[in-house]
Amino acid sequence: MFLQTVLLATLDGLSYGAQVFLVAVGLSLIFGVLRIVNVAHGSFYAIGAYVAASFGLLLAASGLSPWLSYPAMALSAVLVGVLLGGLLEVTLLRRIYGKEQVLQLLVTFAVFMIFEDLQKAIWGVSPYFVNTPLSLLGTVNILGINYSLYQLVVVPAFAVVVLLTLRYVLRSTRIGRIVTAVTDDREAAAAMGVDAAKVYLLTFMIGASLAAFGGALASGSTSLVPGMGSGMIILSFAVAATAGLGRIEGAAVAALMIGLGRSIAVYTAPEFDVLVPYLIMFVVLLIKPQGLFSVPQTRKV
Amino acid sequence: MLRVEQASAQIDGVTVVRSATLEIAKGGTVALIGRNGAGKTSVLRSIMGFLKLTGGRVTFDGGDLRDVPSHRRPFLGIGYAPEDRRLNGSFTLEENLRFPGEVMQLSAAELRRRMELVYGVLPELHAMRTRPAAGLSGGQGKMVALGRALVAGSRVILLDEPFQGLAPVLAQRYGAALRELRQVDRELGLLITESNPSLLRSFADEIYVIERGETSRQDALPDSSLADSDLH
Repeated sequence: MFLQTVLLATLDGLSYGAQVFLVAVGLSLIFGVLRIVNVAHGSFYAIGAYVAASFGLLLAASGLSPWLSYPAMALSAVLVGVLLGGLLEVTLLRRIYGKEQVLQLLVTFAVFMIFEDLQKAIWGVSPYFVNTPLSLLGTVNILGINYSLYQLVVVPAFAVVVLLTLRYVLRSTRIGRIVTAVTDDREAAAAMGVDAAKVYLLTFMIGASLAAFGGALASGSTSLVPGMGSGMIILSFAVAATAGLGRIEGAAVAALMIGLGRSIAVYTAPEFDVLVPYLIMFVVLLIKPQGLFSVPQTRKV
Repeated sequence: MLRVEQASAQIDGVTVVRSATLEIAKGGTVALIGRNGAGKTSVLRSIMGFLKLTGGRVTFDGGDLRDVPSHRRPFLGIGYAPEDRRLNGSFTLEENLRFPGEVMQLSAAELRRRMELVYGVLPELHAMRTRPAAGLSGGQGKMVALGRALVAGSRVILLDEPFQGLAPVLAQRYGAALRELRQVDRELGLLITESNPSLLRSFADEIYVIERGETSRQDALPDSSLADSDLH
């Protein structure tokens, strides 16, 4: 059935795009403020997923209400972002701000490799699957297709909440104005009383938490395997580059485009599903090299 | 109030400030005159702590600022307007002005007092207050940068080449605003850098000249150097 295929591809694309968005928006936020391309960002996604799955297993073993697995997801994301992200920023990244990009890439790539091995050491290499969050909510029937409510509603809803919250915070709150000011000019912001080091740390923790949250949501519907972080980092790079690094709404649109493009490929030409995100990025960057949503730099002098 | 004592500082291993010494008294207006590249900006950045001192010290009310991080210096009352304005383009004019107060979480009354001071001295900004800062002209931007420094620092403000690049009419207007400020706030210390000494000679109480990172009081300087600094 053609219509059903289209519908399935759209629903898959929405759910997948929402996860990609969470990871990509974190990457984009970190780049926008810290001016650092964090290759280890995908690891936060993977570790967030593993931690959420472990919490899920713990919950199942302890006999507590399985509904707790949803708050446990948010908790794992925050834990990973604050503890692991914070540790990385304080011990390592702090030393390489403003250094050559090659160095930044090498350092964060090394961190990524360490994290990959750590995951294998802690969680092993066999797939993890905790489907409590998926099965708890059941499925709905849309035009003859049974689709899980978790993927249809919960995952995209969280992405929308994150998008709206980030937008609101950055545009309309004191914290947002402080972050914007540091992004524009760290020194000028410091002259106005802004503790830029604190803003960097906080931004990194939030960005890492967002990636971990993407992973935690993914853990509810997909099996976790080694290497899931590297796949996601490449995809979220594609999203962030398509949107223009540092653009939040842009990341949402680009994630949707790439999520939909990928799932359409999965159903129509599965041999190309890996290629499609890059094709989209390629075409966009060919037409708009600064990304879809880049704004012209305001003059500084 | 604010003293720079034998301060030295480096950028990438090159010494840009060499035992610079100057003092801004309460209510004093100090001009720091020097050619481009003489080290004026570096002196101001040293006062703000953006350049780490390799020698000497900067004190405020007698206390060494060495252990006061840059971002805490506005809390002491030090305001800084960098030469290239550096306004936040996505904020409105007034958001730019209020920003330091917002960061430092000044009380509503104190912020209002400082904003009234700014609009009193620079009334033309009030009419434009809802405009996005990205759309301001260079001269307007300089006025906003002055206003923002006034909100950030209540006791001494450092203005880096405020007249640089201003059209003559605007430069006059800016000078008038500074005189007005002098009238309104007699306690405030002002440190103004400039490459053209004629602009500040009548205005400043004290003039220091800086050359190759070294400062000297103007009285002590031979005429030839003065003529030199006129040449840019």
